[in-house]
Amino acid sequence: MITAGVDIGSTTSKVVLLNDDGIMAREVIVNGALPADSAWDLFQNTLINAGIQRKAVAAVAMTGYGRRLANFGDMIITEIKSCGLGAVAQTCPAGQIYTVIDVGGQDTKVISLNDDGDVEDFAMNDKCAAGTGRFLEMLAHKLGLTYPAFVEVALQSTAMIQMNSTCAVFAESEVVSLLARGIDKADIAAAAHEAIAQRIGTMVRRIGSKEVFCFTGGGAINRALAKTLEEALNKKVFIPPSPQTVVAQGAAIAARQKLEQGEKT
Amino acid sequence: MDELINEPYRLQPGFSDNPGNLKRQRFAEDAQVRLQAALRERPPNIGWFEDLMRNRDFSTKQRPRVGYLCNMIPQELAWALGADAVRLDCGNAGAALVGEEMLSGEICPLAKASFGVFMNKDSMANSCDVVALPTSCDAKKKLGQILDDIKPAFMLALPPEQDHRRYADVTLQEMVRLVGFLETHLKTKLKSGALLAAVKLGRRRSAIVRKLQAIRMRTPRVMSFRDVMLVLQGSQFRPVAISHWITEAEKVVAWADTAAQQAGTTKGLKPRLVLTGAPLIWPNYKVLNVLEECGAEIVADTLCTGEQSCFDPVVLDETGVKPLLRALTNRSVFAAICPCFTSQTTRLNRIISLVEESAADGVVNHSLRLCQLFDMETYRIEKVLKARKVAFLNIRTDYSLEDTEQLRVRIEAFLETV
Repeated sequence: MITAGVDIGSTTSKVVLLNDDGIMAREVIVNGALPADSAWDLFQNTLINAGIQRKAVAAVAMTGYGRRLANFGDMIITEIKSCGLGAVAQTCPAGQIYTVIDVGGQDTKVISLNDDGDVEDFAMNDKCAAGTGRFLEMLAHKLGLTYPAFVEVALQSTAMIQMNSTCAVFAESEVVSLLARGIDKADIAAAAHEAIAQRIGTMVRRIGSKEVFCFTGGGAINRALAKTLEEALNKKVFIPPSPQTVVAQGAAIAARQKLEQGEKT
Repeated sequence: MDELINEPYRLQPGFSDNPGNLKRQRFAEDAQVRLQAALRERPPNIGWFEDLMRNRDFSTKQRPRVGYLCNMIPQELAWALGADAVRLDCGNAGAALVGEEMLSGEICPLAKASFGVFMNKDSMANSCDVVALPTSCDAKKKLGQILDDIKPAFMLALPPEQDHRRYADVTLQEMVRLVGFLETHLKTKLKSGALLAAVKLGRRRSAIVRKLQAIRMRTPRVMSFRDVMLVLQGSQFRPVAISHWITEAEKVVAWADTAAQQAGTTKGLKPRLVLTGAPLIWPNYKVLNVLEECGAEIVADTLCTGEQSCFDPVVLDETGVKPLLRALTNRSVFAAICPCFTSQTTRLNRIISLVEESAADGVVNHSLRLCQLFDMETYRIEKVLKARKVAFLNIRTDYSLEDTEQLRVRIEAFLETV
């Protein structure tokens, strides 16, 4: 049986195809103006690349911010539940991983799992982009650096600069004044990562920090963020092999579980 | 009569000349009416309540009008003095925006909106003759002085704690002071017969609310919580002859009762929730829209603008003015459930007993952004409920609609775990 998970995020869309042996395909695309169209194109391409027809897919589960925007799915599931399922599948069995930290383009989630790997509790950032992937992207742009270069210089910084704002808009003006004071770009980049990591650390502690930690979402590809997050938590975080597609994979698993339970999707 | 602001420091009332403000306020109301129109089972006379909430012509009035904020001001006093009592706590996002033209943006949306409605000349708020409000939070303590520039305003000093033994007498004196204020401005005297009649009307409303609540707790649901709120809030937030409201609300109860009997007692699959936290006021039903759209049923609440606003009847003992005022004080002040003075124990007891009575699956806490009282309480409520294995979700939001989809994610995910 083949199932698909489609995760339409604020910045990227992801598709995972799952068969009885595991992952058949997983792909990521940066969204255009209409995320639903981007997701549809990606879904089609993933099918072509995997060499299968749409009808071979038993069920498509939609998740993520845009889960209701596209109409080609058979079921809808929240990214919270998908993230828990995907994190357990990509890392280690349920009962070992208890906290999932997901940093996406538009929001940051901390999910606490129980012994069975089910979602027990979760916390999310409030409505703005404070402390998310978008915040880092904006600051990279403000510093005139590409995102990879921004991450690279942050890793090299040794100075400790305090950045007070995690509001994406206020932080921009803060960067301007830091630059005006002659602070090195690398140190500003490091401070931005530090500000987010502290914010996530607070969220994790509020929900009750239980090891093992798993770090997912586009944010987990950022090595500087992973490093500062480990420092802020004072714990090791486990990064799955494909952190960006964890949620899509979780949705594909949910579709599979639902079919196996004999429920109509 | 002492004025809240002395003459040399009085300011001229400011009005907004931004036509977009009124447009936005109307849009918020119309949008909510449209959303609720999609509900399937509704009382046949619900249109009467919608029209009441959407009325925008306040130019003519049959009786004087007393504007008030918070439940601690008993409507019965105004009724007994031949006036309408209109609760001016405002839930309109458009009005909160107008408020920001004069007040700081960093004030809770309820206070901003309740001030904002005074900035439109023809508003319901401006049709009031006087305004009375209690010292129920920092914003409201100062709001009274600000409103005194616009209308004669009265501040009812609340006790710091809801301790009847220590504060019963001093609070009664405050109520007597309020009567004096109303008598002076409405140019009439409070008589025991009129007060008793008013108290009896209030008791009839409580009886209706209690019946509605009993119907709400039954399974399956026959009436959306949004419609319950619409009905309840009509009697407080708009100028209406209470006897007229009672007639219409009794029709709703009769309809709901029949519908409930016909529906039987099959246990539904929908998660049953108790709603607690900061007030939700028409047309700010965003949280209710999302909760119900996601399939949850709100079977009970502790909102001061919901069932709690008129659930407790005034207990009649003796019928002189003083004993009636004491009974009103006991109901309005000492049975209120505002975190400004209600202990966390009382609030938790109420929530937990509602969860048990209604066989609820979880509790949702509405935390209004910038309302520190409710926000501070969330910590203990969350810990205590979770320790008792009651599913709990905190929703922190304000009047704006931009976070609706984010709320939907949270609420759906919460309902998946319930």
